[in-house]
Amino acid sequence: MGETKAILASRDLQKRFGKLVAVDGVTLDILPGQCVGLLGPNGAGKSTFISMAYGATPRSGGELFVFGLDPQKDSRAIKKRLGVVTQEDCLDEAMTVYENMAMFARFSGVPKPEIDSRVGELLEFMSLGHKRDASIRALSGGMKRRLVFVRALLAKPELIILDEPTTGLDPAVRHLLWEKVLELKASGTTILLTTHYMDEAERLCERLIIMDQGKIREDAAPRDLIERHCPGYVAHFKNREVVGTLRTYLSSHPEGVVYEDSAGVGVRGPDLPWISEMVSKIEFAPEVVRPANLEDVFLKITGRGLGSHA
Amino acid sequence: MLETLSLSWRIAVRHWLIFRKDFFANVSPTIIDPALFLVCLGLGLGAYVDEVDGLSYARYVAPGLAVSTALFTAFFECSYNFYVRLTFENIYKAILTTPIGPREILFGEFMWIVLKGMGMTSLATVSLIAFRICHWEYAILMPLLGGLVAFACGALGLIASSVVKNINQFQTIYSLLISPMFFFSGLFFPITDLYWPLRWLANLSPFYHGVSLGQHILWAREVGEGLLTHGSALVGLSVVLGVIAYRRVYPLLYK
Repeated sequence: MGETKAILASRDLQKRFGKLVAVDGVTLDILPGQCVGLLGPNGAGKSTFISMAYGATPRSGGELFVFGLDPQKDSRAIKKRLGVVTQEDCLDEAMTVYENMAMFARFSGVPKPEIDSRVGELLEFMSLGHKRDASIRALSGGMKRRLVFVRALLAKPELIILDEPTTGLDPAVRHLLWEKVLELKASGTTILLTTHYMDEAERLCERLIIMDQGKIREDAAPRDLIERHCPGYVAHFKNREVVGTLRTYLSSHPEGVVYEDSAGVGVRGPDLPWISEMVSKIEFAPEVVRPANLEDVFLKITGRGLGSHA
Repeated sequence: MLETLSLSWRIAVRHWLIFRKDFFANVSPTIIDPALFLVCLGLGLGAYVDEVDGLSYARYVAPGLAVSTALFTAFFECSYNFYVRLTFENIYKAILTTPIGPREILFGEFMWIVLKGMGMTSLATVSLIAFRICHWEYAILMPLLGGLVAFACGALGLIASSVVKNINQFQTIYSLLISPMFFFSGLFFPITDLYWPLRWLANLSPFYHGVSLGQHILWAREVGEGLLTHGSALVGLSVVLGVIAYRRVYPLLYK
């Protein structure tokens, strides 16, 4: 039943580049109106997966359906109904903002008489109306990014694929783009997002898929992921020398877990009183005490943090 | 198929819009270089050369120079320019997110290069006629010839793009392939007296057949025979090179 309703459905999807296995048996369904985050370290297979979804990369095995169609046979029909915010901007530097968008509107099959109004509306939507006749070279990084959003929305897509949409942007632009994504989500657009930012994933997505080495490691709601993998609170210490003391303490309090990462060492405990109790017993003051978050889950699952060094 | 062609056409239009922005810079090397050749060789060297094939030297080199505009415009467009769009500007990556696929991109490249070759050759031919350096009677065939030569030489450029590991390697291909094709094409001297392996190799060059047919046309000599021999050889080579180029570049756009 899920298969007929799913906007995107993959079954044991595989992609190999020579000996490298980029996507290794991915099975998932994305339902209409969902906003799904695809997380994973660099090289996890996220971009390859979405590239197969819009028919820019052939698969090596398994099945894939988008809008019930096979991207290898019907990529044109699929691409008429989806928009992609590419990882790189890939804008035509020699053209103006309007020329760029008008050209892509033609590529996307927007009827000629509608191009002017469509481009105008979307430039306003992305607060770029005043840059209509500017050259692409004159735009800041944030403006270029917003323009890539305009490009992805030209064909009024039912599915939007965002491939690391806010990487390298300042906080103001990130918040503006999040607001726009939430507006699109509210209007019923299905969204598939890849990102390295856990705050972005948590804020935008109701479902997160964590990939690593081409495989799906987790697929759940953000809150459930935290509950399942890293419930409780974390005390973090910058001073690495504290690790011996922490291990000694944990030998008699096995509910806690110690971990080391690039920023120092930390302990995750089941709740705040447990952490407070620990802090009062050892002679070091933590730099910060906070609830465990998605970043902890991510680092634990992809093998570079919480739990893995315990 | 109609939609494929219409989407491919949009790629050609895209290239035209970019080309038009810097029209003079884009046209000048293709037109000024052959003009310089004509002046230096025709008037300069021509003063020391009596006649070649019963023609003044300027008249002898004129048709080949007109056809050479198609060779250079096509090879550079499909090597350097295509490679930059593919690897540095990532233009195709964005285009491939739209209903346009790798096939439409390649068809569009060929449409653009044929039109560009037709335009450049026409411009050169009109100039030659204006200066009365060639016959005009069959000149209407020159745009078609230019388009065909551009198709074949553009295919060579695309094949080169699929071979090189970085952009500098085009220089080697230029020196080892395009320059010999240019100099041993019969443009500057008849190749009938050359050592036989060179003549045999020339038969594999689309530019040689292009120059020879251009000479038939612009000297108004045995045009029908030229069309039958060099014309059909050029069509055959174009098909072969076009298919190889398509097969080699497609996987670069769809991997």
